[in-house]
Amino acid sequence: MTTLQIILIALFIYLGSIGSIVGNTIGWYTLGRPLVAAFIVGLIMQDVQSAMIVGIALQIMYMGNVTPGGAVAWDLSYATYIGTAGALVFGKGLDSTELIGMAVIFAGIGGLVGQLMWNVSYALNLPLNRIAQKYAAQGETRKMWIPNVALAQTIGFLCRVVPALIVLTSMTAASQQADFASLIPGWVTTALGIFGGMMAALGMGIILSFLWKKQYQIVIFLAGFILVTYFELSMMAVAVIGVIIAVLYFYGFSNTENREGIKS
Amino acid sequence: MSEVTKKISPKTLKKSFLTWFFFNGCSQQAESMLGMAFGHAMSPVIDELYDTKEEKAEALQRNITLFNTEAQVGSICNGIVCGLEESKANKQCTSEVIDSVKVALIGPTSAIGDSLWVATIIPILLTICMSISQANQAISWMGAVLYMIVYPIGTFLLSWWLFRLGYRSGLTGMQSMMSSGRLDQLTNAMTILGLIVTGALTASYVSFPLPIQIVKDVFDASTGEILEGVVLFNADDMLNGIFPHLLPLLLTLGVYYLYAKKKWSPLKLMGVILVLALAVTGIGYLFGVYT
Repeated sequence: MTTLQIILIALFIYLGSIGSIVGNTIGWYTLGRPLVAAFIVGLIMQDVQSAMIVGIALQIMYMGNVTPGGAVAWDLSYATYIGTAGALVFGKGLDSTELIGMAVIFAGIGGLVGQLMWNVSYALNLPLNRIAQKYAAQGETRKMWIPNVALAQTIGFLCRVVPALIVLTSMTAASQQADFASLIPGWVTTALGIFGGMMAALGMGIILSFLWKKQYQIVIFLAGFILVTYFELSMMAVAVIGVIIAVLYFYGFSNTENREGIKS
Repeated sequence: MSEVTKKISPKTLKKSFLTWFFFNGCSQQAESMLGMAFGHAMSPVIDELYDTKEEKAEALQRNITLFNTEAQVGSICNGIVCGLEESKANKQCTSEVIDSVKVALIGPTSAIGDSLWVATIIPILLTICMSISQANQAISWMGAVLYMIVYPIGTFLLSWWLFRLGYRSGLTGMQSMMSSGRLDQLTNAMTILGLIVTGALTASYVSFPLPIQIVKDVFDASTGEILEGVVLFNADDMLNGIFPHLLPLLLTLGVYYLYAKKKWSPLKLMGVILVLALAVTGIGYLFGVYT
């Protein structure tokens, strides 16, 4: 990777992390999603097609990683940008399964660094409360941006960009030293492929923990499951069926209630 | 009343919303969570409503205390608090009311935001965009671009609508919405949609192979030939014959149980999955499924 590419990717890692300057909607929930991150890395490294192969695989693995704040399992932004970049740097000429295997390794490394830095920035932000309280006590409405944006973002920016630069630079240096792709034994790639497929279960489990509140609701989940396994419908078709059922439920329910209202 | 009633100007409301939309997560920490960001977003409103430094200080201190929500859907809280601060400036509301309302809003808005928007809309939208990307490799960028356009714009509009709704109808509006059961119905409807899609995602993307097979040379009595390398038993085929994708389903439910009921951390679960994957690989090599 060239210096410019490294700087650009490090910058996007910061923008796609939790609580960056562009807001969580544009940052964490858009630039931080593996599908989008892979596309951006692909653009920067001028290989969109390979990047998207990796991006779709990582997106499936990390589908359930959606909560900021609560329990951040791993920093998605780090995992996907570094994962995709690693696959593209080290995986020249590999087929797609091996490429995905490489991405899983680097996403793991990136995710661990990201997790660590998230905890660091979370702790470093604490003293900012004192500054905010000081300004608040003085009634300085026009200075509230100093602790919330200026100082917090200095911490956030340094916590993301500096480690990202180090990881990406050492990756580039390592790729020039040896051909790692040929050094990785076949069984590792096989195991990583299996791991990737099983990891999707973690994402689904986390999503389920938000949605599945009453025991009987398991049948709804199973309905979606068999629509794919027995009826062999595509995801898009199931999504449309889901919307239809949700709309029928919503309006069907409100109509019966209205009727009851008229009776009484 | 001799005093003129105070009103927040549309411009200030917009400024407050945009401050929240862009900077809500900037200074997140364990002490006040999104408190500083909330205070920052409220500061233009406070500046306009109150005249003296003392009043401004009191209002600011009230608004930087602990606050947490799912920020995108939670913009309704900002709207409601803007409305309450306006009443307070007109002496129709006390600071105790504002404090208790804010704390009371944390629970429902986080729950609704997380389950409706974050855990339902995002996976569905990502799934649709992913299918577009998978359909044709030459235009695989289209899914990503579509997501980059649809998600932020859609969320911005929703967030802004909720903010204005909160300001306009205030707490009574939210209460009447919650008590009429409309919100419960919406939550239930979205949960149904979310669960169906999660089920389908599990079936499509989670994999858990069991690479056990027995291969033997078989003597075919009818022709008198020896057939080499016939698969006598394949665990995956057998299980899929009984119930397709049974193992991925069990794995997902197992992970859910450990995460939601036993409170295992995602990192720990990741480790367990890695060990399982290595075990499966080992078994596969042992039975000669992988070479």
